[in-house]
Amino acid sequence: MIGSPFIQREHNSVRLTMAKVMAALIPGTLAHAWFFGPGIFVSLLVCFAFALLFEGLALLMRGCCFKDFIGDGSVLVTAWLFALSVPPLAPWWLYAVGILFAVVVAKHLYGGLGQNPFNPAMVGYAVLIVSFPNYMTQWPGPSYLVMHLPSLAEAFDLVFAGQGAISADAYTMASPLDTVKTLMRAGVAKVDILANPVFGRFSGSGLEWVAGMYLVGGVLLIANRVITWHVPVAFLAAVAASAAVLHAIDPGNNMGPLFHLLTASVMLGAFFIATDPVSGCATPRGKLIFGALAGFLAIIIRSYGGYPDGVAFSILLMNVAAPFIDAYTQPRVYGHAKGGKVGR
Amino acid sequence: MSPETREIIVNGLWKQNPGIVQLLGLCPLLAISNNVVNALSLGLATTLVMAVASGSVAVVRDYIPQAARIPLFVLIIAALVTVVELLMHAYVLALYVVLGVFLPLITTNCIVLARVEAFASKRGTLHSVLDAVMMGLGLTLVLVVLGGLREVFGKGTLLSGLDLVFGPVAKDWVIQVVPDYQGLLLAILPPGAFIGLGLIIAARNWLEGMRARRARVDSPLGQTA
Amino acid sequence: MIEFRNRILVTASALLAFAMFGAALLSGTFQLTRPAIEQSERAAKMKLIAQVLPPDGFDNDLIRAARPLPADPLLGLRHPGEAYLAMRHGQPVAVVLEAAAPDGYSGEIRFLVGIRPDGTVAGVRVTSHHETPGLGDYIEIGKSPWVRVFDGKSLADPQPVNWKVRKDGGLFDYMAGATITPRALVKAVRRTLEYFQAHRNELLATTKEQP
Repeated sequence: MIGSPFIQREHNSVRLTMAKVMAALIPGTLAHAWFFGPGIFVSLLVCFAFALLFEGLALLMRGCCFKDFIGDGSVLVTAWLFALSVPPLAPWWLYAVGILFAVVVAKHLYGGLGQNPFNPAMVGYAVLIVSFPNYMTQWPGPSYLVMHLPSLAEAFDLVFAGQGAISADAYTMASPLDTVKTLMRAGVAKVDILANPVFGRFSGSGLEWVAGMYLVGGVLLIANRVITWHVPVAFLAAVAASAAVLHAIDPGNNMGPLFHLLTASVMLGAFFIATDPVSGCATPRGKLIFGALAGFLAIIIRSYGGYPDGVAFSILLMNVAAPFIDAYTQPRVYGHAKGGKVGR
Repeated sequence: MSPETREIIVNGLWKQNPGIVQLLGLCPLLAISNNVVNALSLGLATTLVMAVASGSVAVVRDYIPQAARIPLFVLIIAALVTVVELLMHAYVLALYVVLGVFLPLITTNCIVLARVEAFASKRGTLHSVLDAVMMGLGLTLVLVVLGGLREVFGKGTLLSGLDLVFGPVAKDWVIQVVPDYQGLLLAILPPGAFIGLGLIIAARNWLEGMRARRARVDSPLGQTA
Repeated sequence: MIEFRNRILVTASALLAFAMFGAALLSGTFQLTRPAIEQSERAAKMKLIAQVLPPDGFDNDLIRAARPLPADPLLGLRHPGEAYLAMRHGQPVAVVLEAAAPDGYSGEIRFLVGIRPDGTVAGVRVTSHHETPGLGDYIEIGKSPWVRVFDGKSLADPQPVNWKVRKDGGLFDYMAGATITPRALVKAVRRTLEYFQAHRNELLATTKEQP
């Protein structure tokens, strides 16, 4: 079995890479807090705590490498990506269940860092969206559209003590994607749907800024050579192209490419999740195929599926295909002819 | 107990367990294991069909022409399954509705044909029946463990749906394992079956691995090797 | 050559013998179980229908009193369904209609509605649906008592403008996360009531006119 590229380097280098990824997540997280309240900091903290706890326990039980791996930061990246994918202000046990599946089942049962076939954060998300769809669709609205966004102290109360003084109706709002889906199926005309204040200039009000900040972080990652351009570019191009085709076929019932690019987790998925070197592809051509198919599937699942978004499912599906794609896109070794024969 | 009998029992329940070692008949195993009652019912129905099928094939094995044996086996199995299906339709309708298409599909469960072909057509009647019952019980065991896991994690109960078999009286027999449980829907839905079966297989392999390691250490060769 | 023919004959007669034995076994079991199957099917159907009837009971044979229901757009049915008239002492106490909501979140939601002669709902039960598990499936009585919100409602109460879920400005509660499902069901129940209003006399006619 071949390990992922980065496990063979020094552990310091894993730690450095993870630190860079986390730094790139800061702008998006801050934008999220700006528009949707400080609740994200609470959920992030809870996810970090559970991630370290489960990672530590799993490493101790495996009895081999506690000291080598506990400080590598990879589990914090997983926890951070997970925290950005699930609604803040949900009860603490929801995060615990998600992180348990992400860290213990998706990562350590498969052999730990570098051996997991699926992206751990997305496994955690998928488990939650399938198991607790009611909690997973309660997103807070932007501060200027809802009655009262919980403060930091109130957010702690909500997460640990459950629904206390503030009812969910005071701060939650149907997400733009959900609004579009619900109203389109009810036969409301698209112009009237878009008049809803939850929509901003391009996609969700506030959400488009968060997506923009993920884009900034992602470009920084490429500039720092933490990731290559292949996956994000292919992913975003495929999202835009598939959305454009659907929109061209039936403009009344499909949103345009710009809306899809800037909605929900497309930007996060393109730069931070589909680029996972362990569960994704390793060869350049493989990365292009992986990204493009994931983007295409994301739009298909988002448009026709029963769950709110398709990015997590599409990336998980492509994770299954990644080794297969890699096997068929091995670059030709210099001096060898096409088809693997040794040239003269 | 003769060593042969012993081996048949150990093979069916553990060493060659159809559900987690041979991995035969997974389709109904995955589909009907969302709670203990369903799992147990399908497991017992399959065991019954297997026992009668293996027994009757073993009795008439000398009269079955080699060339037509597979169609004949399928004919016997299909007839038996239909009888079981009719009986369940008549007397436990609710359960019949829940098991749905997976009841007639016992016919196509490879484990039934596999035991008839590999064992009953070559061995004595008593051993054939014992083998079929043990293989069936091995499958039932996996079904019940998987069903129990999925039910406890999914709904926090055990034995819900017992009223399908025993009528409304049995509604109170449900065991609430975890009070006020939120429910982990994933466990009840199809993915839960795959994940659960994977975990059970992993647990068995882990146990076997430990036993193998211990055996190596205990054996005199283990010291020197 | 003769040996080959003999072998074919033996094989064929073995097949024939087993097939005949199997057929005999099956037809025997079928004959034996048929009355029991019919009875338990009827009992199951009665149990389902009885859930949407008023609790004070009825004394006629519902299944025999079944009459065809056309595939009317108001009922949302794609194929003709059935209506069951429940009577006590020769007086109709309620009629049960099969109906469907075609616009659920993922496809059709089929249900039964029991309607009293005065046009109020005696009960609604969903018989089949494909809604998202954990989100839209609270319309099942086994998952949540939500579907009882229809009990006692009629076209006059609430007013037609209020026959909507709360989110659309109506009077019907729904659960967070899924509005499409209850919206579809509320609309479909209202339409079924409209159908009842339009065909009240034929639906409540105590003598079944034979075609």
